[in-house]
Amino acid sequence: MITHIFVAVAVLTISAIVFGIILGYAADKFKVEGNPIIDQVEALLPQTQCGQCGYPGCRPYAEAIANGDKVNKCPPGGTATMEKLAELMGVDPEPLDQVAQEAVKKVAYIREDECIGCTKCIQACPVDAILGAGKLMHTVIAKDCTGCDLCVEPCPVDCIDMLPVETTLKNWDWKLNAIPVTLVSESLEER
Amino acid sequence: MLTLLEQLDKGSLWQSPGGIHPPELKQLSNQQAIGRLPLAKQFVVPIPQVGEQARLLVEVGQTVLKGQVLTEGTGFIYLPVHAPTSGTVTAIKAVASNHASGLPVLSCIIDADGYDNWCDLITSDPAALSNDDIITKIKQAGIAGMGGAAFPTHIKLNTASEIDLVIINGVECEPYITSDDRLMREYSNEILKGIEIIHRLLGPQRIIIAIEDNKPEAAQAMQQAIHLSKLPANSTRVTVIPTKYPSGGEKQLIQIITGKEVPSGCLPSQLGIVVQNVGTAFAIQDAIYSGKPLIERVVTFTGKNIHQPGNYWLPIGTPVAAALELVDFRPSTTQKLIIGGPMMGYAIHDPYVPVLKGTNCVLAPSNEEISPDSDEKACIRCGECAIACPALLLPQQLFWHAKAQEYDKAASFNLQDCIECGCCSYVCPSDIPLVEYYRIAKSALRVEAEEKVLAEQAKLRFEARLQRLEDEKLAREAKAKEAAEKRQANMKSSDKDAVAAAMARIAAKKAAQSNEANLQSIVKHDANDSTGVDKKSAVSAAIARAKAKKAAQSAEQFSIENNATQTPSNTHNPSDSVVEGGISQQNLIAAAVARAKAKKAAQNNQAITSDEAVNGLADSSTSDTDPSLNDKKAKVAAAIAKAKAKKLQQTEIASDSADTEPNEDNSITASANGAMAKKTIADDNTDPAEQDKKARIAAAVAKAKAKKLQQVETSNVESQLSSSSITLEQTPNLDSAVLDKKAKIAAAVAKAKAKKLAQQAEKKD
Repeated sequence: MITHIFVAVAVLTISAIVFGIILGYAADKFKVEGNPIIDQVEALLPQTQCGQCGYPGCRPYAEAIANGDKVNKCPPGGTATMEKLAELMGVDPEPLDQVAQEAVKKVAYIREDECIGCTKCIQACPVDAILGAGKLMHTVIAKDCTGCDLCVEPCPVDCIDMLPVETTLKNWDWKLNAIPVTLVSESLEER
Repeated sequence: MLTLLEQLDKGSLWQSPGGIHPPELKQLSNQQAIGRLPLAKQFVVPIPQVGEQARLLVEVGQTVLKGQVLTEGTGFIYLPVHAPTSGTVTAIKAVASNHASGLPVLSCIIDADGYDNWCDLITSDPAALSNDDIITKIKQAGIAGMGGAAFPTHIKLNTASEIDLVIINGVECEPYITSDDRLMREYSNEILKGIEIIHRLLGPQRIIIAIEDNKPEAAQAMQQAIHLSKLPANSTRVTVIPTKYPSGGEKQLIQIITGKEVPSGCLPSQLGIVVQNVGTAFAIQDAIYSGKPLIERVVTFTGKNIHQPGNYWLPIGTPVAAALELVDFRPSTTQKLIIGGPMMGYAIHDPYVPVLKGTNCVLAPSNEEISPDSDEKACIRCGECAIACPALLLPQQLFWHAKAQEYDKAASFNLQDCIECGCCSYVCPSDIPLVEYYRIAKSALRVEAEEKVLAEQAKLRFEARLQRLEDEKLAREAKAKEAAEKRQANMKSSDKDAVAAAMARIAAKKAAQSNEANLQSIVKHDANDSTGVDKKSAVSAAIARAKAKKAAQSAEQFSIENNATQTPSNTHNPSDSVVEGGISQQNLIAAAVARAKAKKAAQNNQAITSDEAVNGLADSSTSDTDPSLNDKKAKVAAAIAKAKAKKLQQTEIASDSADTEPNEDNSITASANGAMAKKTIADDNTDPAEQDKKARIAAAVAKAKAKKLQQVETSNVESQLSSSSITLEQTPNLDSAVLDKKAKIAAAVAKAKAKKLAQQAEKKD
């Protein structure tokens, strides 16, 4: 009878040691550096680095979301991003904080003849998308502009406009096909 | 088991999945030979047509010849654009494009001169050219795939993979279109010459010319041309395939000919297969043998509303409307114009769009042929679409997700493999425009993917910027540190002494402050005790008072360094000091020393009146003893006063609304004026050069003082309040004693200060 107890204890002890070693090895071998959820959240954010969420960039907001902040603070991402974030974080979707403006992508445009070359917008641009030097005209590298708005406010002469991105054959959306097809007979008569 | 090549030689065919058999309606346009329409008056040449960027080589007003290059550019898929006829460039502007969107694109408008003069053409014999030369010539001729997709041909012909099989696509499976059919019938020898060039470039083991069995004349013509060609025997054959839509699709055709399926996301060249259109082969031949760039193509004009249907050679850039006028086009009331076939074509918004390199057909159907859009009904899940799909997709699933805008889910059902052939829409009993939904979903996915790339770039740029700012900061700090160390190393012993001396002076001054405060209390004590008021004691008392005031002033300035709460209590509260000072023995001794000093000073400067002494720095100016020194002091004082007045004025202006007592305003103005006046007087007395320097020094001192004062005031308003109230208490006495102008100024300054402090205190509260 007593040997049974010893055997049981011995078996449990040995298996505990074996599993302990396996787990310890696995914990070391498959260790995850950092919090992977932050990277996942960041991948969903639009990377405009606009700071409208109240954090200095998209990465800090991703960290905040991972730590339980609300998912509805990203106006550039719009409702689609908010829903994805909610799904990822397992929380209920909430309407966006700010009134989500018409989700039209915009880029900054500097009216170059009015620019005095103060470099203030260059310092404000989070993605270094403005080119120029002191007392020389500046210009926006349109393809790198995220449309974050941050350069508009510092401009002392208000020469920066946010213009909607022009629709070209490349970024044209089939949804726009709602344009009625011109009736040829009418159009030929017109000309 | 036969090898693939043996099976190809045998003409074995495989089944491609799905597909439909719509009415062909090819006999409408394939009855007469390819015609040539009179030249249009105006041509619209979009720039660039293939590729993203190009540089224009012409300008408005320039005369161009037929075949002249209009653009130059670099880039992988760039193709040059050529003038379709001779004439004048009348405008370069954005006009409606031959695209489903109809969006305006930059185009060259060329007004034809009617002569149709060619530019110099370089004819050549391909035998004398290297492969690279041929590729370059093909690129320079601007040849793009003529089947519809307009992919640059020189890229397809310059593949890195080893090509075993070339399929020449003469299937032309879409209803109505007959341009390739007529081309094969009439220009089979020319097409074979093009195929020879392709054979030379790619060196395939076999070349298959695939033709549907509804074009027996074309197949026969091609078969005959093969016998006449210089191609190696048994390397080329015509394979007639059964008519089915969409057999002409690249992937479908490969499957029918070889039985191989091109994997999703792969190019046929990865399987060792290249597919070229017959029209492309013709264009290659034209470019090499006669040096003509691709500036015209065969376009089918068909549909029941075109009363002279047929195939016509049209220069690229001819407005569709201009050509329609010449083929007896009679539009119905709800006329649609379709570019391409009825299955895959798109309706254009504006008939004035140009014919492009990929435009193989212009269809003007009557209402009986293609009914106006009918309303979409609910999906009944019949599954016809899944049977018809040639890409083996699940059109229903794609439809659900595309309609619900769950594009990522649609993508998970391989939406990207949809070839938009339109079979599903054709068979749908509920008239659901399925392909439209897929196109919307595809463009949304494309936009999403692009945004993802952009976001990634933005992130990289943002991180690079942060890194740069951090680096700059570190570099700046390192530089500052280095400079500081250098300064320390270079510092001479005398400099060090000077610093030490300055430190010692500051320490001495601090000590003096506390001593004088004590002294003052003692002096007051004494003054109260003595009943017999002899002159000397009165003078010494006055001097002590003056010193106390000075000490108070300096205490104001140094209260940052000093303990903010202790200093005022020591220096500015005489009543407290009287009680405390009397007790301390040390203070008594110090007081005695100070008294002795005061006595001495009084004896020495008997000429100086006591009240003048009270006035501190400024009053020395009136003393006769050392005129030059006094002058300087006066100027410094004036500058200080001026600076103070200015500052006060600024604060007054800033907080005008808070003002309640107007006379105080006046007093400040007066003090400012007084200071100005005094300065002017002082200025008159000295030579300008010296005065300039002094004035500058004075200004600097004044500025520094003002700054310090401001700091002190903001940091401990409370203590300042008490100090200034004391100054206020003292100043009326001075006024009554001597109605000196300077004293008045001092009073005004003090008053203003007090007021300002009071305001600040209010604000803080």
